[in-house]
Amino acid sequence: MDNISALMDGELDERQAQQEFARLRQQSELRQNWDTFHLIGDALRGERLLLTDVGRCLSDRLAQEPTVLAPRRGTVRKITTYVLSAAASLAAVALVGWMAISTHATFNPRDEVASAPAPVVLPAPSPAPAPAPQVASVPAEGRMNEYLLAHQAFSPSTAIQGVAPYIRSVSARQSSKDR
Amino acid sequence: MKAVWPVVFLGLSAAHVALAESADSQEGLTWLSKMAGASNQLNYSGTFVYQQRGRSETSRIVHFVNPAGGVFEKLETLDGPVREVIRSNDQVTCYLPSSKTVLIEQRSARLLPALLPENLTGITESYAVRVGERDRVAGQECQIVSLEPKDDLRYGRQFCLEVRSGLPLRVRTVNEKNETVESFAFTQLRIGGSFDRDRVKSKYAARSRHWRVDRSALNATEKAVESGWVVNNQPAGFRKLMEVNRSLAGRGGPVAQIVFSDGLAAISVFIEPMPKERPAETLTHQGAVNIYTRAYADRMVTVLGEAPAATVMQFANSLELRTSAAAK
Repeated sequence: MDNISALMDGELDERQAQQEFARLRQQSELRQNWDTFHLIGDALRGERLLLTDVGRCLSDRLAQEPTVLAPRRGTVRKITTYVLSAAASLAAVALVGWMAISTHATFNPRDEVASAPAPVVLPAPSPAPAPAPQVASVPAEGRMNEYLLAHQAFSPSTAIQGVAPYIRSVSARQSSKDR
Repeated sequence: MKAVWPVVFLGLSAAHVALAESADSQEGLTWLSKMAGASNQLNYSGTFVYQQRGRSETSRIVHFVNPAGGVFEKLETLDGPVREVIRSNDQVTCYLPSSKTVLIEQRSARLLPALLPENLTGITESYAVRVGERDRVAGQECQIVSLEPKDDLRYGRQFCLEVRSGLPLRVRTVNEKNETVESFAFTQLRIGGSFDRDRVKSKYAARSRHWRVDRSALNATEKAVESGWVVNNQPAGFRKLMEVNRSLAGRGGPVAQIVFSDGLAAISVFIEPMPKERPAETLTHQGAVNIYTRAYADRMVTVLGEAPAATVMQFANSLELRTSAAAK
């Protein structure tokens, strides 16, 4: 048992590790311990939010599982596997969530790359009023949201359509973030 | 006796033809004022599709008017990443679970100009109001009312209004080539139902307590001012609605915002100190909104509105500072 936790923590040398892997292949109880340890590790590393969600998610799903009238040895193992996959997918969600935050915070450099046509740069914009030059329009992709929201509050279209204008800016905000 | 009726009918239709345009316009305006009132008087819930330049998105909306006063609304996206927008009167809260972010916007109702329906008559200066055919949207009968621009400075709109309430079931914004640049249409709708606070509450209200709260981007501290900036070659039909100093996310100082409207479309002009990096002249768009940015002396100017790019650019290029004091 101790060897397994040591294996998980990467504290065994190669020969010892090979031995433990061999034992794991042979003994199903050891494999269960391996699973359980990983679950505990995931839970410990996770945030409190993750922990409570695992618990609730699991109990919800368990409530939906058909009752096994004659449990066999395999049942426990099945639940453990389920717990693990639930924890894994939650961890993945947490990761995606975190990535979304960090990409948002750094103003998503990929967004700049993804929206192929770069804003058109005109030579020397004159400060004096000039006849409207031909500038190619590119999608705003969420870069103008502060302005959009500030503008929409005063647009008669907003008064007509209620919340609908918020779709426009929120939609843009989201699309820029998800790229 | 029988012979009289065709004569009467002929007389009536002749009068009808003569008065057709103004009568049509008058009927159209009646529909529009009905529409303007609908969202403040009706409870409804349904699903709608929002489309702009090749992208579409389905959302669910629940809208309640509290008999004690106040409008409560919940909007949630049904495809793509989850988003929820909750509006209770002047506060708009947007939940973005994918990035665990809450955006909160609180605006002062006082500064919102009373645009409709009092200003509806001004619309006929710039648009021809036409009452079209009846159509059907989301299983409900609706009346088509179009606003056709009298020049190329603005976009046209086509509304299909639910016949009894005037609620817009479909709204299309069309450009000069008669292409739809933005549209919004219900696919399912139920009008009526009684106020139910739970249906306009966010399902993330409790969970979002630990999320990042972003007030800065949306927090509008608006103060009416005279910025000293004027647009000296204002596109026809547009009138200045208001002028404020406001805060915008990431800006050191206040940003001046001047709003113009032709009764339907609005154009906002933002003037702010030049950022560290001098902006290139750019034109972007978001749905029916065109956005134009340029440098003007030591200021950055951003003009946007649901109008053709040329109109938006005309505003930006006709800007002038009247009082030298404001330049400092």
